[in-house]
Amino acid sequence: MTCRLLLLAALLAVHGSAFAQPRTLVVGSSATYPPFAYETPARQIVGFDVDIITAIAQKRGLTVRLVNTPFTGVFASLNNGDIDLIISGVTINDRRKQSYDFTAPYFEARQLIAVPAASPVKSLQDLAGKKIAVVTGSTGDDVASRAFGKTSANIRRFDTTPLIIAELVAYGVDAAIGDNGVIAYRVQQQKALTTVSDPGFPKEYFGIVVKQGNAALRDTLNAGLAAIIADGSYARIYRTWFKAEPPVLPAK
Amino acid sequence: MGEAIRVNALTKRFGPLQVLRGIDCVIDDSEVVCVIGPSGSGKSTLLRCMNGLEEASSGQVRVHGVPVHDPATDLDALRTEIGMVFQRFNLFPHKTVLQNITLAPGKVRGLTAADARDRAEALLIKVGVLDKRDAYPNQLSGGQQQRVAIARALAMQPRVMLFDEPTSSLDPEMVGEVLAVMQTLADEGMTMVVVTHEMGFARRVADRVLFLDDGQLVEGGTPADVFERPVEARTQRFLSKVL
Amino acid sequence: MEPMLWFGWFRADIIAEYAELFWRGLRMTIGVTLICIVQGSLLGLLVGMARLADARHAPAKHLCRLLLRWPATVYVSFFRGTPLFVQILLMHFAVLPLLINPVDGFLISGDAARDLKQDYGALVSGVLALTLNAGAYISEIFRAGIQSIDRGQVEAARSLGLSFPRTMYHVVLPQAFRRMLPPLGNNAIALLKDSSLISAIGLSELAYAARTVAGAYSRYWEPYLTISVIYWMLTLALAYLVSRLEVRYGRGDTR
Repeated sequence: MTCRLLLLAALLAVHGSAFAQPRTLVVGSSATYPPFAYETPARQIVGFDVDIITAIAQKRGLTVRLVNTPFTGVFASLNNGDIDLIISGVTINDRRKQSYDFTAPYFEARQLIAVPAASPVKSLQDLAGKKIAVVTGSTGDDVASRAFGKTSANIRRFDTTPLIIAELVAYGVDAAIGDNGVIAYRVQQQKALTTVSDPGFPKEYFGIVVKQGNAALRDTLNAGLAAIIADGSYARIYRTWFKAEPPVLPAK
Repeated sequence: MGEAIRVNALTKRFGPLQVLRGIDCVIDDSEVVCVIGPSGSGKSTLLRCMNGLEEASSGQVRVHGVPVHDPATDLDALRTEIGMVFQRFNLFPHKTVLQNITLAPGKVRGLTAADARDRAEALLIKVGVLDKRDAYPNQLSGGQQQRVAIARALAMQPRVMLFDEPTSSLDPEMVGEVLAVMQTLADEGMTMVVVTHEMGFARRVADRVLFLDDGQLVEGGTPADVFERPVEARTQRFLSKVL
Repeated sequence: MEPMLWFGWFRADIIAEYAELFWRGLRMTIGVTLICIVQGSLLGLLVGMARLADARHAPAKHLCRLLLRWPATVYVSFFRGTPLFVQILLMHFAVLPLLINPVDGFLISGDAARDLKQDYGALVSGVLALTLNAGAYISEIFRAGIQSIDRGQVEAARSLGLSFPRTMYHVVLPQAFRRMLPPLGNNAIALLKDSSLISAIGLSELAYAARTVAGAYSRYWEPYLTISVIYWMLTLALAYLVSRLEVRYGRGDTR
């Protein structure tokens, strides 16, 4: 009798340990886009996206393994099963929805204006006649061009967001317009700058991407996301990276 | 008559090569001195030390009492008193003959353009090249260029004229015309130091001849003394080769 | 604007839309190039001569080496040894904010600094970087040109009593200039094309116009082909000018 009990216990222990060990999510991310995902000098991948997916996974009893994938190849990796999901500042749009499934939004993306702390500018229209720095061809460029003329001499175009912030800090322009995530992150590194949001700026959303048809994973991630929003850990992570209160995200 | 040039214990070394080994000589006003000797004997170097184109390793050179190699000496000013004629003429190719001659008098002596031009034309007549006054050096023959070079040096009205192998780069048929100009200068009483291989000229025109060999002043004297009655064996050997 | 197709594929309309940017860019490119050629040549002349500075006796001899030759050599080495692109970024984002700053500018501060920086900041940075860069390359052309003049010319001039500055001005430089025209012409053409790098700091010149259009439409043939043709025309004009200069100053040279 004791022999069989012992055998049963041993069997249970072996299988039990298999159940007790959490499943690992293989996550693809392009770690060249601070503050969402980037590499530290110690070659660690950190960022808002990293923290969010880690928190979600924890809520669901899963662990996360990050795979740094160039953005141009990350969707292919998802399709051939090398990774389970993508979290990499991916904007939800109809074109992508045709081929992939998205979770609920985890980040609201819109344009943001960076100005010196003492600036009287409170909206996009306040920038009329002022010098504005934008990233060439970005949504910010588009916004400024529509508002003030695409050939306006007041629009100064640069290659990257750090450069437009540098130009603002050096008093070369009165304002810089860019994606809120990147702008907010850069501004909080500079003491003398602040951000202004114009309600007219259209809103877009980042979502976590799963393979088309993988409803199980998508539901798991959605549940996890809802949970971290509900218990305040989303807000905490948001504040850490953007020094601001998170907006209310739509359910889909 | 005073001393034009006094050289005292002049030595000159280029790196490990000792070119002048202690030269002493005096050249008086209105004297015409020809310096002869084999190649590499230091003749040109001696001449170039006289107007400061070469530094002295030791020893002194004085021109009308002014020490040439003394840092305190205004060498530019001293050089206006010393005219130099080079083996390769060194005319300024981007300027006409007239401009070559009027440049220094105009800029350094402050002559007006008209005065400089007058002086230049007088000199061109003297050297026999007036008709080429508006030509460029590359349009002249070698002999004509050298005569222009002499006129250019004379335009500064120097008290001493130095000639560094003035006919060595010339075709034989043009040597005569240049030597003729030099003879005229000598007859007019110009103090001249001429490094040359033209023994005939030295014999006819020089008041004194200095024979240099291996950086030493071996022998010096009247042309008759040196050419007909050379004392030193080295002199004799050299003369036997060139005469 | 409805598509204006040339040869069936070239969307000339997107260029026409941004015509003002291209036009402004053309004027800016020409202006920057001319200013930098002139300034770069002057600087190159001074530095080229500084590299050759010498005196017969101490202490002038040592002063020459220390205050003229050595700084000139370091300057040339740095500006030839670092990429122009890096120099432009350094100048605009590091050096100029130290000098022209509303808060604590070394040279200019206050409101004047702000206005200057906003309206002309990129221009000043770009011209400064390009001038310093060009000056380094041109100084080598001057140095080589001056050294190529036969020593006999200098000896003849000095023997006439002409001072060193006069010798340079009347005898050496005029001859050297003729020899330096071809490489100087080359440098001018290189400068014209190097000026396109200033678009990186937001200066509205030709390359900037092309980048803007490419960024807006994600089409690359139209804008870049357009400015390629424009740069080519400008280069041909510059080359023609240089050849005219070579003819004009070619008289009287024997060697």
